[in-house]
Amino acid sequence: MNQTAKKPKKRLFGRKDKSDVYLSDRPPLSTAGIIGLIITYVLLISWAVVVIWPLFQMVKSAFNETQFQYITSGQRFEFGLKHFKALFEETNYLKWVWNTIWIALVTMGLTVLFVSFTGYAYSRFRFRGKKFSLMGLMLIQTIPTFVGITAYYAMHQIISGPVPFFTRQMMLVLIYAGGGIAGNTFILKNYMDSVSTDLDDAAKIDGCSYMQTYRLIIMPIVRPMLAIIALWSFMAPFTDVLLPTVLLTKNQDLTLAAGLRTLISDMRTLNQPAYAAGGLLIAVPIVVMFMLLQKQLIGGLASGSVKG
Amino acid sequence: MALPLYLQNRIGNQFERKNLYLKDLAQGKTVSPDDHPYLNKLKTFQEKEATFLKELEERVAALPPETDPTVTRLQKMLYQAQEKRSFYQSYVDLSYEAELAFKTADTMTNHLPLMLDTHEEIKQEVAFNQTALKQLDPTVEQAAKDALTAYQKDMPAKKKAEFDRLNNLRKQGRIAKKAQTNAKKSFLRSQKMAEEELRLQVPSIALSAEAKSLNYRQKHDLKRLENLMMAEIDEFSQTLPMESNKKRAFHHYFTWPLPGLGQILNKQYIKGLIFLIGSLFIYLVAIPYALGYGNYQGDGVAGLITLGAGGKRLDKSVIYLIEGVIAILLLVFAFGIAYLSFRDARKVEKEAVLGVRPKNWALSKKMISEEGFPFAVTMPSLVLITFIVLVPIITTILLSFAGWDPQHQSKFSWIGLSNYTNLFVGKGLAAGLFWRILSWTVIWTLGASTLSILVGFFLAFLLNNDRIKGKFLLRTIYLLPWATPAFVTIMFFSIMLSTGGIMTDLFSGLAGKQLFVKDNIILTRVALILIKTWLGSAYIFILSTGVLQSIPNDLYEAAQIDGASAWSKLTRITLPLVLYQTMPLLIGQYTFNFNDFTIIWLFNGGGPPNTSLYGNLAGSSDILISYIFKLTMNNQFQSLGAAIAILISLGLIAVTYVGFSRSKAFKEMK
Repeated sequence: MNQTAKKPKKRLFGRKDKSDVYLSDRPPLSTAGIIGLIITYVLLISWAVVVIWPLFQMVKSAFNETQFQYITSGQRFEFGLKHFKALFEETNYLKWVWNTIWIALVTMGLTVLFVSFTGYAYSRFRFRGKKFSLMGLMLIQTIPTFVGITAYYAMHQIISGPVPFFTRQMMLVLIYAGGGIAGNTFILKNYMDSVSTDLDDAAKIDGCSYMQTYRLIIMPIVRPMLAIIALWSFMAPFTDVLLPTVLLTKNQDLTLAAGLRTLISDMRTLNQPAYAAGGLLIAVPIVVMFMLLQKQLIGGLASGSVKG
Repeated sequence: MALPLYLQNRIGNQFERKNLYLKDLAQGKTVSPDDHPYLNKLKTFQEKEATFLKELEERVAALPPETDPTVTRLQKMLYQAQEKRSFYQSYVDLSYEAELAFKTADTMTNHLPLMLDTHEEIKQEVAFNQTALKQLDPTVEQAAKDALTAYQKDMPAKKKAEFDRLNNLRKQGRIAKKAQTNAKKSFLRSQKMAEEELRLQVPSIALSAEAKSLNYRQKHDLKRLENLMMAEIDEFSQTLPMESNKKRAFHHYFTWPLPGLGQILNKQYIKGLIFLIGSLFIYLVAIPYALGYGNYQGDGVAGLITLGAGGKRLDKSVIYLIEGVIAILLLVFAFGIAYLSFRDARKVEKEAVLGVRPKNWALSKKMISEEGFPFAVTMPSLVLITFIVLVPIITTILLSFAGWDPQHQSKFSWIGLSNYTNLFVGKGLAAGLFWRILSWTVIWTLGASTLSILVGFFLAFLLNNDRIKGKFLLRTIYLLPWATPAFVTIMFFSIMLSTGGIMTDLFSGLAGKQLFVKDNIILTRVALILIKTWLGSAYIFILSTGVLQSIPNDLYEAAQIDGASAWSKLTRITLPLVLYQTMPLLIGQYTFNFNDFTIIWLFNGGGPPNTSLYGNLAGSSDILISYIFKLTMNNQFQSLGAAIAILISLGLIAVTYVGFSRSKAFKEMK
């Protein structure tokens, strides 16, 4: 980081050398400008430090063999994989990973399936009650899922009476998928609206049914947005702590996020460094993915919003 | 009510009645059906028609079969059509049915020869193709194959040479990276095409490709032509009216007791059958469930009123409540089916009185697949949303009017509005905390959101400067809090800020005395707002960066020429543009933080506790949503929690509604 700070200074000094040809199309900096630039650098770099430091501490604790149950300051650093080993051997970590992956996959499949139909219907058809139901969807999605938590308990009890194999994890999948339909329909509809309806007309003239028009023409065009919706709905179970903690009772049924919480909230299984290690293991793939896809993800955020 | 004098077709054209008896009736003449001349004529026609059809059938059966079954079928159809055409021709003026039969036969006589020809043609081509395949010239075949293998052998070398050339050009800096990859791709594509061309030069490969396409045509061409013919027949059948002696429509009333019955009385059997399946749902699922049969514990709709009072000891009121809600929703679905069926039957019948010919199944199916498409595809989502989203919401609304509290856990009853009045006047152990918690919630929302927005925008503004180096690195670092799952970072902050934790010790060192962040109300609250700023500013940073980069430079240059200072450039150009474009998302920040349960719960569990101010039910950093959680999950005040949840939801809905209904996207929607 110090290097980045020194670099412009060198250039500033270099510019005073009159023999150097001034090639930039920006006006040369005044003294006030130079001071401003330095202040800017100081501010930017200090925020970078603020961002990096806690994350760095997390990585450090995860690899620090001298930390025990609690992560405390003033410990000497000794590199080792002890905490990762503890995570895999003493906790249900792999079980949690497996639970989360299948819950996420099913949620993703259901959401994409439902949303692609509703998005298409809302974008391409006029039908009675369209505006009303769209408004309804929009308003329903603002109510936090958590509001219905008492009802979910009882509903699971009611369904599992006649259907014994209906586990709480399946209830969780349904809650994630059902809760995601409203908002994602809206996002997909907005995106699909930007695709010209001339394509639909052309497909219809060529004898496509609506289903074929969607499958062969529209879906390939909106695939980027579908991919984002798939990604978001895949991620939801990885980052949600509340619903699995409340709904799932057995430790081996938990998802990753809820399972890791037991490592710092439950006195019997308390192991803070192992938590840091487990958090790191989830965070790294997600961070890498966000970094790679940031442009698309941000585009998805913006186009899903209700622009004035 | 009299019979209409004129008949109508579907598009509304008027037709003279051909049935003179009905015409006389419509004109108000008194005629008897026994000796009306028209009816006698019609009767003789019908008798003749019956014998003709019977004879025709025998004659068709006696036709000598061809070797190809398809040809036999088509020729039989053609023969039938020709015979029918000549038979019905003389009765066209007698009735619309005869006219329809004549026109149908006429269309078929026009279409069938073409179908026979097409079939024959394809058959010949197939035969030709097969003989050609058998009599391949081995020398030509070998030569073409050799050319192909020679080409394939050369390919890697050529590819390498071309790629080397491109790589060299790139190294010398004469072409861009994009141009390099594109050139490589297009080279590969042209190679592939050339290879494909050579492959098709090989006679055996070309012929088998042709055979494949012929095979496809054989399967589909005839089917397509037949569909075309049937579509034409269906089409003009709708332009003809139908004689009817119906004066008023009444069949549709029968759909109320049994959806589908009206359709069957209207002679639309398949449609009727489909609605009858809907009736099965009504009579076997919805109504029994609403009456309490097949419930898990509850008592259908009645359970909503009694809430299980007087039931078994283990029965739970909440189950009665939810099953009542489910029963009502099932009834709504049932009513929907009955109403759809009623409307459909009424429309068909009213048209029939006017003389419009009812649609046959093929046409109905087409209409359903076109106009019913949006309903059909949204139906599964609607069902899922109804049961997963709507049932809990309705349950919560109802619970807020009930008295589910620690004294009434398994059985509770309706208590009206007292949960709400208790909240407003702050009466009672749990409800009394409402205003105090609400005030911290508001402070938290305003503080955390505003600070995140300020920091995020400020960073984006600073970084959007041409003179800054290392932008990519800084931007990547600033994204980290957004990209890392929030629960991971929040819990780690919680660890670091507990007593003896890394950050506590750091700040204690700075402050010069031992701090206990998580035991101190003020410090916990400040820490929460700062952590939220750390987390939330990243998102605002991304949004603002996107907008800042899209502001055209011309604006700033023009401002520069007019002598604007950096400050007025910021306040007059940058801020208005950024705010205008991100406003809905910024408002979203406030509504999100208002309900950000995760951070409060994970950081300190709503603590530290402060019994003198908050009692045992909440901690001093609890916001409304985490208070609801404590009320329902830990302290058994479910009804009160529901009431607060409803108040929060109403507020959120109001904010969203105002924003959304004013948005251009919604106003422009067709």
